[in-house]
Amino acid sequence: MDTALLLNTTMILTLTVITTPILLPLLSQTFQNSPTTITRTVKTAFLISLVPMAIFIYSGMESITSNWEWKFTMNFKIPISLKMDQYSMMFFPIALFVTWSILQFATWYMATEPYITKFFYYLLVFLIAMLTLTIANNLFLLFIGWEGVGIMSFLLIGWWQARAEANTAALQAIIYNRIGDIGLILSMAWLASTMNTWEMQQAFTATQTPTLPLLGLILAATGKSAQFGLHPWLPAAMEGPTPVSALLHSSTMVVAGIFLLIRTHPMFTNNHTALTLCLCLGALSTLFAATCAITQNDIKKIIAFSTSSQLGLMMVTIGLNLPQLAFLHISTHAFFKAMLFLCSGAIIHSLNGEQDIRKMGGLQKMLPTTTSCLTIGNLALMGTPFLAGFYSKDLIIESMNTSYLNTWALLLTLLATSFTATYTTRMTLLVQTGFTRIPTTTPINENNHTITNPITRLALGSIMAGLFITTSIIPTTTPPMTMPTFTKTAAIIVTTLGIILALELSTMTHMLTHPKQNAMMNFSSTLGYFNPLTHRLASLTLLNNGQKLASHLTDLFWYKKMGPEDFADLQVITAKTTTTLHTGLIKTYLGSFALSIILILLSH
Amino acid sequence: SGMSKDLMPGPYPRTPEERAAAAKKYNMRVEDYEPYPDDGFGYGDYPKLPDKSLHERDPWYQWDQPDMRHNWGQPMHWDFDMYIRNRVDTSPTVVPWHTMRKHFLIFLSTMLIMFGVGQIYPSYRPVGPKQYPFNDLYLERGGDPNKEPPVVTHYEI
Repeated sequence: MDTALLLNTTMILTLTVITTPILLPLLSQTFQNSPTTITRTVKTAFLISLVPMAIFIYSGMESITSNWEWKFTMNFKIPISLKMDQYSMMFFPIALFVTWSILQFATWYMATEPYITKFFYYLLVFLIAMLTLTIANNLFLLFIGWEGVGIMSFLLIGWWQARAEANTAALQAIIYNRIGDIGLILSMAWLASTMNTWEMQQAFTATQTPTLPLLGLILAATGKSAQFGLHPWLPAAMEGPTPVSALLHSSTMVVAGIFLLIRTHPMFTNNHTALTLCLCLGALSTLFAATCAITQNDIKKIIAFSTSSQLGLMMVTIGLNLPQLAFLHISTHAFFKAMLFLCSGAIIHSLNGEQDIRKMGGLQKMLPTTTSCLTIGNLALMGTPFLAGFYSKDLIIESMNTSYLNTWALLLTLLATSFTATYTTRMTLLVQTGFTRIPTTTPINENNHTITNPITRLALGSIMAGLFITTSIIPTTTPPMTMPTFTKTAAIIVTTLGIILALELSTMTHMLTHPKQNAMMNFSSTLGYFNPLTHRLASLTLLNNGQKLASHLTDLFWYKKMGPEDFADLQVITAKTTTTLHTGLIKTYLGSFALSIILILLSH
Repeated sequence: SGMSKDLMPGPYPRTPEERAAAAKKYNMRVEDYEPYPDDGFGYGDYPKLPDKSLHERDPWYQWDQPDMRHNWGQPMHWDFDMYIRNRVDTSPTVVPWHTMRKHFLIFLSTMLIMFGVGQIYPSYRPVGPKQYPFNDLYLERGGDPNKEPPVVTHYEI
């Protein structure tokens, strides 16, 4: 069979298979979705998507397909064009694999949920939007996917909608994402007005792109990928169920912003301002998130900040003009981060809803499979040599050390790498080792294969994925080959220092006494005071001023002052002024009249 | 249909009797009742309740309306839609506001200044000028073959 035909057919078949659980209940009277059918659908789609990946690995064939075109203006083309290149063909199997594992896990985790089919349906719609975003070749289709993942994120974070905190978190996600969307729409508008297209191939013809659309794209990535400044929604999104956190807020949705920058990277290549901005923003985000993660006590929040930190690292890679490496990190990160979330979900359910690591301990003996996979995931996250994270993370640090870049960004990233090791070790120590602090009656159970299979599958992925992807993809840029030993081992040295720091701190907590609060601890545990400062101030002023403008000002001015009252006031003022002019000297007036008449008569 | 005229908000209370009647209307004590100042913005006799959001009300008390943390007949704040649990939170912070603002601005300004410094002094691999053989390509660059070429020292990094 013709390779191109096979490639296109299998990719489109993957997308079609994914959409069948949505279409079939509408077309047939008797067909009902269920969690098992949806899981099986995603598994099938994963297996089908392996075919294009294999074709790409063996032959390096890429393809751009244009289907139906939306003809609403004659000179502006918006086709549904799908780009099957290295990024989409590698991302499809990874996203589908991770989603399949998460859906299988969710059949156990959400088993007591009355609307479980709707939950799976929402996850499926999210997946479709995400895959649309990935495979889009023009910004219009990407925007459709972009908005789709935003909406599904809102619905899924606020899944337990009777909970006010979940609603607030969902609102936060939507509003912060919307601020990022301003940037994306700005870039789309610029692109449409200068290049008369939204197709990415046509946009890459210019040699030097002005900074404004690139700023828009960076703003979009800041919003969607929770970089510093538009970051609070990601930790707040942990209000959603753990499968949601695992799928959306670790592997797929949050990488959409970085993916956008990867797709549009030819526009960035020549603009050093934009690249430096990406670098500095990414470095700041990674350090800030890592600093916040050190003092968190909720296991999901630690993993959320870990995600935020790794997203900052991906942004740093974009700033180094290495989009392929950023994509490699996206792929490897998906595996171990999803696995960390699933392990944390298994722990939470086993402890009957306990999420505070201060109330866990010694789980290594009680939940062996889960904690082993947690350890593997943590090691991969830290960049342990030859696990998945190593191939991407170590390469990023090496490339940073051997590039011409902002020194502070380099230092911050190295510091963040050591902090990653610190909070990971802290989490491991408090959750798995030490004395157990859990209540005596807990439903600890990991005998269900719906828990162990996904987690072990993802563990296998965390170990093998890095090696597999690096050996099968040809790099587009030459990686740094020669560097001094200290530079080569910089990443592992800072990681080791971070682990030592964590061990020292835990010994200090047990042996010495420290004051409960100090300025640094307060800064870190309240996430830099960013949340109260911005959320309270901004919403208070906006809402107050909005109400004053919309109701008080309107009522006061247009209905009263502009009309009757002010008019009456003006009348009063004129009356008062003219009244003072009335001096009432009638006799003098009469006398002056008489005098003037006599003078006129005399003059004639 | 709807509320009767004496239950609706009315004009600003001028006499103490009007204040007492307004307080009774809003189910408040006369001592607690404080209307908004009469500055033409149309508040009328609506009580000025303390600007506290619903986050500060006891989450464990058995309210009549648990999601709004509100009992039946309790007067609602003028800006109640801003003070619900999805919006502004006025609960006291652990750290005072000015300390938070100061520390955050110190952090942000330090980061921005250090990024500026890092841009002025970037980090890069050690580099040197390009070194060419044959006395820095003296003859190829049109040097006089009869004259002595200038001495060129090459370095190893």
